[in-house]
Amino acid sequence: MAQEMTSTSEHELVARCREGDEQAFRELVERYKGLVFALVARSIADRARAEEVAQDVFLKVHRGLPYFRGEARLSTWIYRIVVNVLAAERRPMKTEPLEGSGDGPPREFGVADRAFEDLALRNRMEKAIARLPVHYQVLINGHYLKGLRYEDLAEALDLPMGTVKTHLHRAKRQLRHLLETEFR
Amino acid sequence: MRCDDLDDVIEALAEGDTLSAEYHAHVAGCSRCQARLAMARAVDRLLATREAPVPPAAFTFRVMERVGRAEWRAEQLVDVGFNVAVAAGIALVVAGVVGLAWSLGWLTVERPTLEAVGAAIEPWVSSTLARGPTVVLAALLLTSALGLWWWVEGEASL
Repeated sequence: MAQEMTSTSEHELVARCREGDEQAFRELVERYKGLVFALVARSIADRARAEEVAQDVFLKVHRGLPYFRGEARLSTWIYRIVVNVLAAERRPMKTEPLEGSGDGPPREFGVADRAFEDLALRNRMEKAIARLPVHYQVLINGHYLKGLRYEDLAEALDLPMGTVKTHLHRAKRQLRHLLETEFR
Repeated sequence: MRCDDLDDVIEALAEGDTLSAEYHAHVAGCSRCQARLAMARAVDRLLATREAPVPPAAFTFRVMERVGRAEWRAEQLVDVGFNVAVAAGIALVVAGVVGLAWSLGWLTVERPTLEAVGAAIEPWVSSTLARGPTVVLAALLLTSALGLWWWVEGEASL
């Protein structure tokens, strides 16, 4: 029922936007800015640039609304735009092969001072996430953000649900390998 | 079972998925895989507790401002296109009317008049032709400058 209401209001919102209702588009931005900004800012460290890119996403949404057929959920469609914008934004980086590179013994993750360990690990983890391929990066960022379901991710990435889970495991494995090797 | 075999399922184990007892038995006896599992669990926990970056307060305002500018620019393009189309239409109509009048004999131009006009513009035409390369270069520069200005204007308005 809640889902029905959401999609109905979503349809109304999109219809109003298409009619050129500025207030409706403002509502749309208000509704999705948290999701878009969080996804973008998690992938782009420079906050000013992240804001600009997040704005670009909404400009693309505005331009693309007349062509939005409503087959997917609006959030899914917006998420897909975010993925495309981030992929275009990201410059190619030199990466070393990750799979199977963890030959040495992994670093012990002690429990003596968990808060400190967490802080240090979090810092390393953010750097490691930035090194992941865009596809994995947005998958991890999207999955751990509230509001994005497996179905949304599957639709946005054009993958079956089961594959999304497999990819998520692969993404986390690459992340762990990075933490065990380059970001020790 | 080797540690490498377990590497593919560490993340599933960290999420609490039920796997074959073989895997669990290996982890129980292998300090390397225990450390990997601990790392995978820590990564999972930290990912789940990452704070979502919050957009700045003026975010919506700035988006709307850019949308407004983009719309204005699109309208400008439509206006320019419309004006060019109208001018071309008027030119065609005028040319048509003149051509019709000429063919019906309503409009005649005496030979001396044509000669006088030719004589009047001849010095200008010949001097322009003599400076041909300079004129072409100037026209190219002007066109490039106008194109550049148009592009910069477009970038700034988005």
